[in-house]
Amino acid sequence: MQRSQVSQPQRRRLVRAAAVLIATLTVAAVSACSATSVKPTDTPNASVTDGGELVIGAEQEPDCADWIATCAGSIWGSYIMQVPTMPVAFETRLVDDVWTPVASDLLSEEPEAVMQGDKQVITYRLNPEAVWSDGTSITSADFAYTAKQIRDSDDIFDKTGYTGIESIETPDPQTAIVTLGSSYAGWRSLFSVYGVLPAHLLEGNDRAAIMKDGYDFSGGPWKIESWNRGTSVTLVPNENYWGEKPHLDKVTFMFLPDTAAAFQALKSGQVDALYPSAQLDALKQIEAGLPGISSSIDARSGNLEALWFNNSVAPFDSKAVRTAIAYSLDRDAIVKRLFGELGIDSAQQSFNTPIVGAFGSDDFSEYTIDLDQVDEIMTEDGWKRNADGVWAKDGETASFTLETLAGNKRRDLTVQVIQSQLQEAGFEMDIKSVTPADLFGTIAPEGDFQAGLWAIVDTFPEPTLSASFSSTNIPSEANGYSGINFFRADIPELDGLLAQVDNELDQDARVAASVEADHVIAEEVPSIPIDTVPNVLLWSQKVGGPLSINPVEGPFWNLAAWGLAG
Amino acid sequence: MFTFIIRRVLYSIPVILVASFVLFWAVRSTFDPLAKLRQAQDPTAVAREIERLGLDRSILEQYFLWLRSFVTGDWGTSSRTGSPVLQLIGEALWPTIQLAFWGLLVAVIVAGLVSVYSAVRRYSLGDNLLTGAAYLGIAMPAFWFGLILIQTFAVWPKQQFGLAEPPLYFIGLHSPGQDGFDLDYIRHLVLPVAALMIALVATWSRFGRAAMLDAMSSDYVRTARAKGVPRRQIIWRHAVRNSLAPFVTVVALDAAVLIGGLVVTEQIFAIPGMGRLFLDSLVAGDVFVLLPWMIVVAIAVVICNLLADIGYALLDPRVRLR
Repeated sequence: MQRSQVSQPQRRRLVRAAAVLIATLTVAAVSACSATSVKPTDTPNASVTDGGELVIGAEQEPDCADWIATCAGSIWGSYIMQVPTMPVAFETRLVDDVWTPVASDLLSEEPEAVMQGDKQVITYRLNPEAVWSDGTSITSADFAYTAKQIRDSDDIFDKTGYTGIESIETPDPQTAIVTLGSSYAGWRSLFSVYGVLPAHLLEGNDRAAIMKDGYDFSGGPWKIESWNRGTSVTLVPNENYWGEKPHLDKVTFMFLPDTAAAFQALKSGQVDALYPSAQLDALKQIEAGLPGISSSIDARSGNLEALWFNNSVAPFDSKAVRTAIAYSLDRDAIVKRLFGELGIDSAQQSFNTPIVGAFGSDDFSEYTIDLDQVDEIMTEDGWKRNADGVWAKDGETASFTLETLAGNKRRDLTVQVIQSQLQEAGFEMDIKSVTPADLFGTIAPEGDFQAGLWAIVDTFPEPTLSASFSSTNIPSEANGYSGINFFRADIPELDGLLAQVDNELDQDARVAASVEADHVIAEEVPSIPIDTVPNVLLWSQKVGGPLSINPVEGPFWNLAAWGLAG
Repeated sequence: MFTFIIRRVLYSIPVILVASFVLFWAVRSTFDPLAKLRQAQDPTAVAREIERLGLDRSILEQYFLWLRSFVTGDWGTSSRTGSPVLQLIGEALWPTIQLAFWGLLVAVIVAGLVSVYSAVRRYSLGDNLLTGAAYLGIAMPAFWFGLILIQTFAVWPKQQFGLAEPPLYFIGLHSPGQDGFDLDYIRHLVLPVAALMIALVATWSRFGRAAMLDAMSSDYVRTARAKGVPRRQIIWRHAVRNSLAPFVTVVALDAAVLIGGLVVTEQIFAIPGMGRLFLDSLVAGDVFVLLPWMIVVAIAVVICNLLADIGYALLDPRVRLR
């Protein structure tokens, strides 16, 4: 699936099956739940010349290029190699200001997805012009091979959706019929998040060995010319691509892990574009001004940071405490402190990220800082302030430890501001830094925490809240610690609504259920959304083309249209 | 001399073994080798790895299991990249060795010259300026100095003079698609080498100056002067040679540290060396790389110590007799 919990921008397709049909195309934009959207601050020079090369800075090097394997967790791998080279069934595009899965030109028509009894049957009809870079047609055999690799192999990043595949029929090279054992609303993510693999090159061979260090096939506009570990990835046009061919002769992504040096590289012309994550040092550089550099900033990302509570342990097993904390925080002030210089000053008001904003509400907006309300709620629940000004009840104080991920300065600042705000409201919070491996490998699955601050990332425009808040996804020893409801939210009313979101075929009813689920979440406060991390793209005057950020496919989703400014 | 070297090599073996066990114990106690696998929430895979790595056995058994694989060249597979660890470390060593080599070479020459000048012109204006500069060099954080160099020698000239490209580069050791020892390589090398050598020169020049002053005030120098030996000959043939022994020891020990200690320089200048590999592996909790990485650095330390001993013995024959 498409939701994960990460420290750095990592790809996370996660966990639960997002449910039924998503015919979201007609859904009205409900952006009220999203943070302020900042439109591009500069207009790119759309006029480009053919030929030439660009060098782009990449702040992370992917670990491997075997996109379906567990080692392919870096979102940068997706940005710089997967998206430009892998054919997909659905692309994410902005339709009526809503990020929407749209059938790609790999398909000759919108796939049919129908229920036959309890089973869901999806028919993909392929574009006969679609070919791999070696000239071989992309066929239904590629769909069958891809599905079986993901469903049946070990060491797969995420099998969500694919485990439900009962069969794939390939009546002809241009038709693939996938039968799912039950309804799956998120079916558009199949063959879209991972893409389609070339059966004629991989079947019978060691897929991981062929792909992990880069591969020479392509079904997209670009081919990987080289991947020099630690240094760069170079793309060149795929001459056999059936769609719009790239303007540029070559694009090189240089790995620049140091943010300050990356900005210097942009200023000195060693790189022509940057896509820095919105960390404090990057924000300071942008605030200080970058002569000759244009920028695009968009807050409508799928990267949501939240204050997560473990609802099964004290003090967060008390709804009163959770609610009081929601009234203790000035979340807008936090967001303004973090991203105010970028023009972003509104907190996120739903756990549905902006890329699935149509499914969300703004119910958390009722929680603004109100210390009188905090006093009332806590007092009614039997708490009294002790000599230190901390709420206490039955010998226990409203004290807790918040786990955060080491090495993220912006998040360090966030937790410090939260700590300060909560202290004024009578809550005592300690901060503990942990590694991502420890947090997501043991601490969170085993529920060995009280509170935490980390991000969840939607990587496909499908609602995924059941993964985080349905009680069926609480990890436990009994289920081998599977599931990412690390927060132990167990709200029967919510379970039903989220199941409806996952399975409802009627789109209006699905949206209504999702909005109602948001109401319940805001009422129960199992956790508190804080912000969505904005995306920032910077480029020099050398770069031309229709530059914009796609929050799912990244800033280089339309790299073929980029060129040297004409 | 041969016996001396053999003896020193033999001494090194138990040192490496003890160091490897301590490192193995420390890493296994600190990191969970299966942390990443546990995130995949596949109990079967976890059980399989526990069996394969012998994680259900005693630490000593685990160590010998690991050691056997290590000495036979099976260094395992990175949990981060899926690549063989031996290949990863081999690829990372080469850029680091290049950087360390050039940094050491330039630093030795500059520190040597500064040492001699400062000792010969003791308390002169030049000596005082160099002393001040040395303290500044010791005090400056490497990352800060690196960024200052980048701004001064790459960004500023490019912007100030409207150059098509900066005079010096600071990303990697080559431009994309380039290789070999050429002008492009030199333009990439200057800034990281400068950033690397500043602290070395600062430290070594103080050390070298003290050694030179010690030599210059020794009896044999006074005797040479009394015999009318030319000043230049006294300095270069007698004083410098005798001050070299302790200098070589310091250089050798610092060289060993450089193999694993270029984290900041490699990070700022985007050089895919041992420091970057360590940092990436540490962040990812890739214990399968971290442990061999530490062993390689430990071996480098032992080898450099050995070289220091040999160098010392070559410069001072009395050492061989001890």
